[in-house]
Amino acid sequence: MTSNTYGLIKAATNVISGFSMIAIIMLGVAYMSFSNAFVFQDAKIEIVNNPVEQTRDIEFMMIGYKKHECNSTRVYGVAYAEDGSHSHDLDLFTQQYTRNVRPGEEMPNQWHMKVPNDMVEGGVYRVSMTGDFVCNYLIFTQEKSQTYDNILLEVEPR
Amino acid sequence: MDVRRNQKIAQQVERWDLYARLTPTIFLVGSLFLIIFKIIDFETAFYVGLVGFAFTAVIWWWWAIFTIKYLVIVLNRTSKNLQDTAIEISQISTEIEKIKDDI
Repeated sequence: MTSNTYGLIKAATNVISGFSMIAIIMLGVAYMSFSNAFVFQDAKIEIVNNPVEQTRDIEFMMIGYKKHECNSTRVYGVAYAEDGSHSHDLDLFTQQYTRNVRPGEEMPNQWHMKVPNDMVEGGVYRVSMTGDFVCNYLIFTQEKSQTYDNILLEVEPR
Repeated sequence: MDVRRNQKIAQQVERWDLYARLTPTIFLVGSLFLIIFKIIDFETAFYVGLVGFAFTAVIWWWWAIFTIKYLVIVLNRTSKNLQDTAIEISQISTEIEKIKDDI
């Protein structure tokens, strides 16, 4: 191998190594940013028909935006009695929420859930809504979960 | 002793040079290959890269400190020796001048 060829190979490997380093750092930073981001930013969830009357379902309203492309795989709620004595699972949707909301767009979303059959006595509850998501960004895919706590729910006796 | 150690340092610099030139590309291509074929996920590659990066940084840092320390010692010794040699040469010159005058 002539010294000229050796010099060329050395220069080429230097350039390739430099670009590889830049790619590694950029991918690493992008991954950290993606991994640490919450699914919903500036999120707010409320029950808009408190107190829930006998014949009505629980009506949720949400506002917030997604930073990345995330698709929900499971959404459920748990209503904790104000006195901490018991809880009820909320997992029966009577009206679905809008799925696959575009990232970066702040769009109001709403859904209705049936009052559980064993919630006959009514009362004041604090609801935790949890969503499990699969998020995509560039070449990354990650499962994420986000919970919104402390949503006031008042249910009239049935 | 110094010559052998200097050669050793030159070899180590060559090895670092080769390592810096090959490792990022090998790691990037290898990781992408393993991720594409779903052998590992991106998170694993990220943490392997992070550990490798940290390990390299620490090793390089200590190597650089010890090498610089050694080079400074060699430089000081060389300066001192050169100074001594300059003084000796000037003394020899004076002696030669004296001998010339005596003749």
